[in-house]
Amino acid sequence: MLLLCLMMPAWAQSKPATVTIWGWRAQDVDVWKSVETALKAKGEQITIKYEVFPPTEYDSKLLVSLQGGVGPDLMYTRRLPGARTQALIDNSYLVPLDSSVDLSNFDNVSLSFIRSNNKTWGVPFANQIVGIFYNKAMFDKYKLKEPQTWDELVQVAETLQKNGITPFFVSGKEAWTLAMQNAMVGVSYPGDAWIGKLAEGKAKFTDPEYVNMLKDLNALKKYYQKDFMANTTAEQDVAFAMEQVAMVFYGVWGNTNWLKTNPDLKFDYFPVPPKDKNLPAKAYIYMDGAYGLSSASKNKDAALKVLNYAGTKAYGELFSSTTGEITAIKGVTMPASKPILVKCYNKMVTIASTNRYWVGSPFDAGMPSVYNILQENMQKMYLDQMTPEELAKKLQDGISTWYPAFKK
Amino acid sequence: MRGRAGRSLSDRPGKAGPSEARPTLYLSEVDVRKYSFLWMLFPALLLYTVFIAYPFFSSLGLSFYDWPGIGPKKFIGLSNYKNILSGFMAPEFYRALGHNIVFFIWSLILSVVPGLFFAFLLSADIKGTKFLKVIYFFPNTLAIVVVGFLWGLLLNPQWGLVNQLFRVLGLGFLAKPWLGNTSTALPTIIFVTAWRGLGFYILVYLAAILGIDREMTEAARIDGATEMQIAGRIILPHLLPIIATTSMLKFIWTFNIFDIVYAMEGTQGGPAGSTDVLGTLFYRIAFGGLGSSQVGMGLGATVVTLIFLLVFPVSIFYVFIVEKRVERGE
Repeated sequence: MLLLCLMMPAWAQSKPATVTIWGWRAQDVDVWKSVETALKAKGEQITIKYEVFPPTEYDSKLLVSLQGGVGPDLMYTRRLPGARTQALIDNSYLVPLDSSVDLSNFDNVSLSFIRSNNKTWGVPFANQIVGIFYNKAMFDKYKLKEPQTWDELVQVAETLQKNGITPFFVSGKEAWTLAMQNAMVGVSYPGDAWIGKLAEGKAKFTDPEYVNMLKDLNALKKYYQKDFMANTTAEQDVAFAMEQVAMVFYGVWGNTNWLKTNPDLKFDYFPVPPKDKNLPAKAYIYMDGAYGLSSASKNKDAALKVLNYAGTKAYGELFSSTTGEITAIKGVTMPASKPILVKCYNKMVTIASTNRYWVGSPFDAGMPSVYNILQENMQKMYLDQMTPEELAKKLQDGISTWYPAFKK
Repeated sequence: MRGRAGRSLSDRPGKAGPSEARPTLYLSEVDVRKYSFLWMLFPALLLYTVFIAYPFFSSLGLSFYDWPGIGPKKFIGLSNYKNILSGFMAPEFYRALGHNIVFFIWSLILSVVPGLFFAFLLSADIKGTKFLKVIYFFPNTLAIVVVGFLWGLLLNPQWGLVNQLFRVLGLGFLAKPWLGNTSTALPTIIFVTAWRGLGFYILVYLAAILGIDREMTEAARIDGATEMQIAGRIILPHLLPIIATTSMLKFIWTFNIFDIVYAMEGTQGGPAGSTDVLGTLFYRIAFGGLGSSQVGMGLGATVVTLIFLLVFPVSIFYVFIVEKRVERGE
């Protein structure tokens, strides 16, 4: 009996196991090292082997490996709706996690990006928020306040330009940033509710609400830097960090680069304001990705322990403090050393748009997607090769070819 | 024909005479020697089959399916070809094809003409030609992504060296957003491609010029021919076969181009699709690229097959021309 009692702690401890994780995010290497340390501190003999692949090669590598019977225990998955993750689900390469992982620390908006057939197929790791980031010193110098309406935003830009400051830096050469810009404006103007009607087929891209937004957006280009169509996000990062420009339409992930370039930079965030002051300003939020469990995993028990840890507040704090990004876990205290994360996390909780037409939206689930159409045609609009009305029609016609609510 | 062992083909068992009429199953030493080339070909054939033939036929087969890259494939016959050639992908396909054609014509002109010019100059036995050869060939040693990155910096509209140079020289009106304008982006990429490849053309043409019998040019000089006449009537005709060969190579390379466009304008072939080529179109369709959650391996394979159908006849013709030249001992 005494011998049995002495042996109990050894039995209670889990068997050593190595959990292999594949992902596309190089910035998560230290996160997984810390997770391994935390799990070992709890007595779990789990070694985490995290392998990073270039984002452009990751999906092909994963698909080929899974079909060949080799692959990781845990895999980073893209958000839904999306053909890649849906194909993994449809072909039983992913395991539903509802009964094996505690997902109570996630809100429904985050989980909606990884739910299909009423099941949850991954543990969300980050949420992104996009909007306008501005230089606080410049705003303070000219006594500017965060604009509450579109017209106030134009007024802010006008003031800055009159004082010799470039109001906006736009990286027009990278078409995806223009699609993102369109989407972040859309959630406030014409607004969250209008996009809800759009999704139901009760509104059209050719409606005056959306066309007017495009017109105003096109008119805003006089406040962008000269020759903005030839600039990249890398150049935007440098210009904003080095205080050569007052505002950028971008995502919270940019803060890491900006602070690396200029640790003294003081900047803040506001959502794109609505045209109508009676409408609420909304922030475009989307889940960046999730950790999925491979059905072929030979270390399911250990992998589930890792996933369960990835759903805790302790993990959320670890993730945000290490990567400088916003965890998808609710109720987490953002690191006070990164006030922009505190602000963005607060906005995420309070003013997230529930409807959207860019990534993570029903309009991204077919071909051509809103994202596809916006990229090329926003460039055309800014280059005066297409009118706002023509762009709206292009969207309506393109989406009507496959989106059920538009076909009626 | 006698082998090392001194046995002719007629010595082979079973063929020597009526008394040895029974066929045998073993190979003679002569047979082994005769067919030994098959063993030598085997490694190359294996590599060719695994890395060229199999992917091609696999891709050809895939073009008849709807497949997102995983799971069962759905046979859809010629629908992918219909979508690409006359369906919803047709405008993008023909635009990309047009860009490939423009790319080929201009990059050929920008490679052959300066290539010949500098090769003529370098063929003169003057001091410093060895150094110049190295200088001209240097861009060719750089990886294309590096070239794309460096030129991206040089062409930056605000602080790039190119525009700064124009401004310093009082040619500010020429300072443009080269990669952000639909009318200048493709010509700029063509120029950069030609710049990188120029050294190759110079070296090839220079080798051909130096291979021309000197007696011919010297005889022409004695007969009173000018240098221009020698270049136009002796050297250029001798270079025509090599110009034809390099032109065909240029065609094949141009229709497979992807990396330089990707490095300078991304997978979207921007701005507004003005630099989109078949390679970037394929990439977007097959792998989704940035900005689409949709992937269509079958549709992508269709684009690849169509590129192959364009390039294959030229490749065959190229091989034919090269074989002819080898036969003629050129």
